[in-house]
Formats: sequence, C-alpha cells, structure tokens
Amino acid sequence: MSEKADTRPATRGVLSKDLLDACISCGFCLPACPTYAMTGQEQSSPRGRITLMRLLETGELAPDDPTLAEESSFCLGCRACETVCPAGVQYGHLLEEWRDEQWRGMKRPWIVRPLLTVANRTWVLRILGSVRRSARKRKTDGQRTLMLGCFERALFPSVSRSLAALDPTISVDPNQGCCGALHAHNGELEKGRELARELGDRLAGTIITTSGGCAAHLADVIGRERVVEASEWLLENSETEKRPLRVGLQDSCHLRNGLGVWKEPRELLGRTAAYVELPSSGSCCGAAGTYALVRKKESKAILAKKIAEIEAADLDLVIAVNPGCLRQLQTGLRKSKSRTKAVHIVDYMRGR
Amino acid sequence: MPTAAPLPPAAIADLKSLLGTRVLTEPGALAAYGRDATPLFRHAPDVVVQPATTEEVAAVMRIATRYRLPVTTRGAGTNLCAATVPLSGGIVLSTTRMTELREVSRDEMLAVVQPGVTAGTLNRAAAAQGLIYVPDPGSKEASTVGGNVATCAGGLRGLKYGVTRQYVLGLEAVLPDGEVIRTGGRLVKDVAGYDLTRLLVGSEGTLAVLTEITMALVPDPEAARYGVAYFASMADAAEAVRDIVAGGPAPATLEFMDTVCVNAVEDFARLGLRRDAGALLLFGDDGEPSAVDRSLARMADVCAGRATHIDLAESVAAAEDLLAARRCNLPALARSGSMTILEDVTVPRPQLAEMVEFVARTAQRHGVRIGTFGHAGDGNLHPTAVVDGDDEAQTAAAMAAFDEIFRRAVDLGGTITGEHGVGAAKLPYLEHRLGPEQMALLRRIKSAFDPLGLLNPGKLGS
Repeated sequence: MSEKADTRPATRGVLSKDLLDACISCGFCLPACPTYAMTGQEQSSPRGRITLMRLLETGELAPDDPTLAEESSFCLGCRACETVCPAGVQYGHLLEEWRDEQWRGMKRPWIVRPLLTVANRTWVLRILGSVRRSARKRKTDGQRTLMLGCFERALFPSVSRSLAALDPTISVDPNQGCCGALHAHNGELEKGRELARELGDRLAGTIITTSGGCAAHLADVIGRERVVEASEWLLENSETEKRPLRVGLQDSCHLRNGLGVWKEPRELLGRTAAYVELPSSGSCCGAAGTYALVRKKESKAILAKKIAEIEAADLDLVIAVNPGCLRQLQTGLRKSKSRTKAVHIVDYMRGR
Repeated sequence: MPTAAPLPPAAIADLKSLLGTRVLTEPGALAAYGRDATPLFRHAPDVVVQPATTEEVAAVMRIATRYRLPVTTRGAGTNLCAATVPLSGGIVLSTTRMTELREVSRDEMLAVVQPGVTAGTLNRAAAAQGLIYVPDPGSKEASTVGGNVATCAGGLRGLKYGVTRQYVLGLEAVLPDGEVIRTGGRLVKDVAGYDLTRLLVGSEGTLAVLTEITMALVPDPEAARYGVAYFASMADAAEAVRDIVAGGPAPATLEFMDTVCVNAVEDFARLGLRRDAGALLLFGDDGEPSAVDRSLARMADVCAGRATHIDLAESVAAAEDLLAARRCNLPALARSGSMTILEDVTVPRPQLAEMVEFVARTAQRHGVRIGTFGHAGDGNLHPTAVVDGDDEAQTAAAMAAFDEIFRRAVDLGGTITGEHGVGAAKLPYLEHRLGPEQMALLRRIKSAFDPLGLLNPGKLGS
C-alpha cells in the first residue's frame, strides 16, 4: 500500500470538505464530460479536477500551479457530470468555490472584469434596459414578478416584452439588479449569493425568469419554490396551437442539470410544432456563461459540431432557453449562413 | 521492481519527439493519474503518454526498455483493485486516444476495436446490428474494452452468459521490447499453440499492452424481463437463489442487495424500492418471449415461499431503471460516508447463504458498517465498508474484517476476487488463494513476457 488517499496534512479552507469527500473517484462522470471528450486526459475530467481541487486544498499543489489555472478555466461548468453521479457530488458548487480562489482579483480573466463591473451597477442595467426598450415598469398584484436578466436587457430586450405580453398580470420592476450568477461562476461567490438574496428580497412573489442559468443560481440561493423558469410557466399558461415548423431545442445546462427542467420546453415545442430532438440538445453549446469570451477556441469547436447537427436536421428554428446560448447559436448560424434561426422560447411562444 | 528514480530528461525528449503534445509532464496532470477508483492507493507517474496507434505503443515500449522505465497501462481508470496506480512511477500509457471502432460484423458476430473504445460505445454499435457485447460491469458507460479485457470484467450477466474471457477471440499486443504479437483471431476453433489469448485476459497490464481486441458478440435477445423479490434477510435471498439455479436453466440475472444498499440506491434512483426489506433480489431472464415468461414465473414461484413481496417490472424502461440502479450501487453507497472500501469475494453457490451471514457477523464484531450487494447467481459478493476516511481506526477495523472475510471465502472453496482483479489491493492475499507453487509459476510466466519487469510492477507476477 502506498500512501493514504485521504490524508490531509493541512487544509487551506478553500474548498468545503464535505463536498470533496462525496467523490469516490469511481469515474462514472467521465463519459458525461465534454472537455474529457476533447482531450481524453484525466485532469480535464470531473474526477480529475476534483483530484486537483483536493491537492489545492492540502497545499500539495501551489495556488499558482499551471494545471490548476488551466483546468479551472477549461471546465465549461455545464454540470453534466452531476446528473450521472450516483454519489451525489455537487460539482457545480465545487467549481464555484475553486474559481473563487483561482480567479480572485487580478487572477480573473481580464475580459470578464468589465462584465462584472456593469452587472454590479443597477443604474447602468436600468439605463441599458430603457435604451434597448426591454419590458416597461408594471405594478400588479405582485403574485409574480419578472426577472430582467442583465445582459438580456441589452442584447435581447424583446424577450422580456414578449413575456410581459404573454402574462398581462406579471409585475415588472426595471430597477432590479443582477441575480449574481455571473459573479458566482466567475470567482466572486459571496457577492453572487448576496446579489441573489437582494434580488429575492426586492422582487415580490414568484420570480419568473427567462434565463436558465439565472434560474438555477437564484433557486440555489433563495429556494426553488420561489423561482419558476419561463418554459415551466408557459407550459401551464399558454395556448398551444400547432404551427407548420420544424423546431429543435438547445437545453440550458444549468436549467437541465441544475434544476432538472428539460421535459417542459420539449413538451411545449412538441405541442406547438414538429419537434426534432437534436442528438446533442442536452449538452453544452459552448456559450457556458463567460466561456465563449474566455475560451474562444474551445467554445468555437463545441459550437461547430452543434451547428453541423442543426444543419443536418434542416430546422426552421432552434429554440434557446437562456440568452447566452441564444447569442452563441445566433453567431454560429449567421457565420455558416444557415437558413435556421435561433429564437428564445418566450419570443417563439409569442409568435415572434 | 524498477525503482522510482527520476526520469532521465532524454527519455522525456524521446517521448515528446514521438508523440508531441500527447506527452504530459506537469505535476498537476500527473497527480490526476495518481489514482483510479480504488481508495487508499495513490502514486503519481513521472510522465503520461497518449499513443494512438499500435506503432506508437511499440515505440513507447522501446523507449521504456531503453531507459528501463516502468509502464502502467490505463484505460478509464475505473478499476477497483488499484491495478492502474503506477506504484513505481514511470510512464502511464493512456489508451484514451485509441478509440477506433474498426469493425462490427453481423455475419461473423464479432467486433474489432482499439482498446480505448468504451464498453458503452461498443454496446451501442453492436445494438445497431442486433448484437450485444456481453461484459456488463457497473462501470460500462465509462470503462474501456481494453480495461474490461485486462481485468476480465464480469457484471450482471455472468450466470447465463459468462464473463469477458469467454468472448475474447483474438488480441494484438505489444511486448515490453516493442515486439507486436497477434493471438487467436476471428476463429471459433483454433488450438494452435498455448492459449495466450486467455492468458492475457485478466493479466492486468503485467504481460503486454493490448492494442487491438477481437471480441465475440451475441444476438440481442428478443425479449428480456425482470422482477424484484424482497426478503427478510440476505440468507433467505441466498437460499432462494440456490433453489432457482438448482431447479432449471440458469437465468440471465440474479442480483441481490441488503437493506443498507437498497436504501442508498433508492436515495439516488428513487424507483420506489421497499426501504424496510432486509434484502432485495433482482431476477431476470432473456430470450424467446414465451420462454422468458415461463422463466420469470418459475423464479417468482420459487421466491414466493420465502419472499415478503414480489414486483414484476411492467415495462422495458422500468427494467432498465432497475438494472441501472443496481449498477450504481457502489457510488450510491458513498453517499453515507467519505470512503467506501469494496471487496469482491466469491464462493460456490451452495455456500452463499453461509458467506453472507459470515460477512454480517464479522462486520458487527469489528464495529464496521458493511453493505453487501452482488451477483448472487455467481456466488459473487461485494461487501462494502462505508467509513470516515479521516478516521484511521475505522479503516483499520474494516481491513481487519475483510482479512477474515477473505480467509473464510477461500476456506469455503471460494476466491478473494471474482471480477475486480488483484492489482495492488489484493496482492497480499493472493498467495493464500493460489499457494506458493502457483505464485512461483506466475512469476516465471511474468518474466517470460517481461524479463526486465517493466510492465505494471508491484502487481500480478511480482
């Protein structure tokens, strides 16, 4: 017998012991991991990354170790590994804690910093929303309030307008801030949780979100019962007239793997169009929050396969349930001059 | 055994000029290759290589021979006996770039694959031609065909179909000096020479590096049905198993788990299993539909006398869920402790009830929490200790309990490992099973293949 696997000479308090202890290194996660599929290398698998986290925690690897830096950024954070883990390892939480150390302050990728700066300022988000004409202020009985995603307000303002049109009694509060998912995934975990709590306090009643990534983070901090993602709500509350369209779906990783919401958008699309299941609809499109900015090369490689699949399926529309995925798919489809359009599920349900 | 001397820079340079970026030397990457799915064993290699072809493997072996470097071949690293932990450092030869699925032939009912193809991938390719790949380890989505062959993987189909060794028709393998041999082939009958194919199956990377595998496939049965019977105790379930096997043709599946395992699996899979039962028996059969119905009815009948409750799976999906739940038993158990130490003792079927009772008594006597599951029809048990990895006394108590369990299994005419392999984890118990004469013969066989002792030192044949 060589050396005990779990002997920890000292711990640095970066990663929670109970989260690390849950992993027994069985390797069931390997086939679910998109980055392991790219390299076939242990350190770019969930199991291998947890080994790295353990060594960071014990100090056997220095915080500036190049493999630690590379792997904490190479990971998509898609959490596909969690759905196949019988031991119940909360990989997403481990990654957040890891990046909290690895991407702290000046170690954070420079391209992420201005995004966090914008998302930290509610007044900037309010002005962005009003310039881009996202959903306008509306006060109702407060049973449901619409969450206005920060980058969605700037990039896809029609989404909040469509939801406000589909749900005439939902409240809209343009003076809301960011939910903090961006922070939690990019090395500011505590700030990310604080922003989610603030948003939960500010918005009344059930919070309806149009972004799978935000939904998962918000639910994680303020409780699942207060958060309803748009396709869940639409399935219960909208007309489902069939349209002559071939439609595919791109899951939001955190919505699917974190909240377990994936049947709802499919059912919605199945009722309203000819639904085509893309072979990799459930796996990451490469947008992965800031990944498309931080890891351009890998993000493009993942996207290229996705676009080829969409082209092969000859779709009219491919539907996204998260603004990051929507932007990623639109970019890829535009570059390949595809006839397929990428549309947010809320815009799609409104017939836009 | 070659010692863990620092790797000469010239060796790294030779490997890099051969494989370029498919050579890993960063300490973080190496550390990730320092363990497999076995707890308590850890040792990092000095370098990891990812060859893609037989020629590249042969070139790596020539470099290893030139510099006298230990080589540990690794597939997915899901084995449970520390077979892929490079105890002497040196080279880890990873097969994850050898993923070419060369052929699936319906006519000849065989597949030809490189060793890094996963069992799951081969299963799906075989299914597309109406065939199945028989080895069925719990890790089959992740584990590689090369690893399945190197450890002679068993799984959930052993009773009726046998294990990996019955299905390997031919192998291509690279010897430590870089020579390439081909054993067996596509033939059902071939007695030319010693059966080196069978010798290499289960040799755990100690004799040669497998580079191509020709694997027999079998027709996908027309129908498969499963049911679950609950018992007050594991011994009751074991007696039912004995009667089922004694009373008719061997069914495809007879798996059992005790109440600790049932609850762990139910926590993960949420299938509505009965948490209050002392033991669960998953029984199933496949083949022609009416024969399957008869077989299920017979098994349910035999169970009826002792079982507290019997459920038949209504749909194929429900049956798949049951099997999937059974396969994830080990990691599911890990939910209740920070470390699981799992064993693999196997006894003749008539001694099964006695063995499960002995396991339970021994666990109690040592104050260790042991959950037992396993392939009841094969007499193959997986008693699993769930311990706090930080508590050395708990680990020591578990090891002491297992020491007794191994000895008892051998005394009952059984073995120390049915399907997980020897690796580094069971090596201390191997002589008790084989005796000194066979141990010496193993070493002579090892040195005939590997006179310099480069391949996976500190394991079988050492």
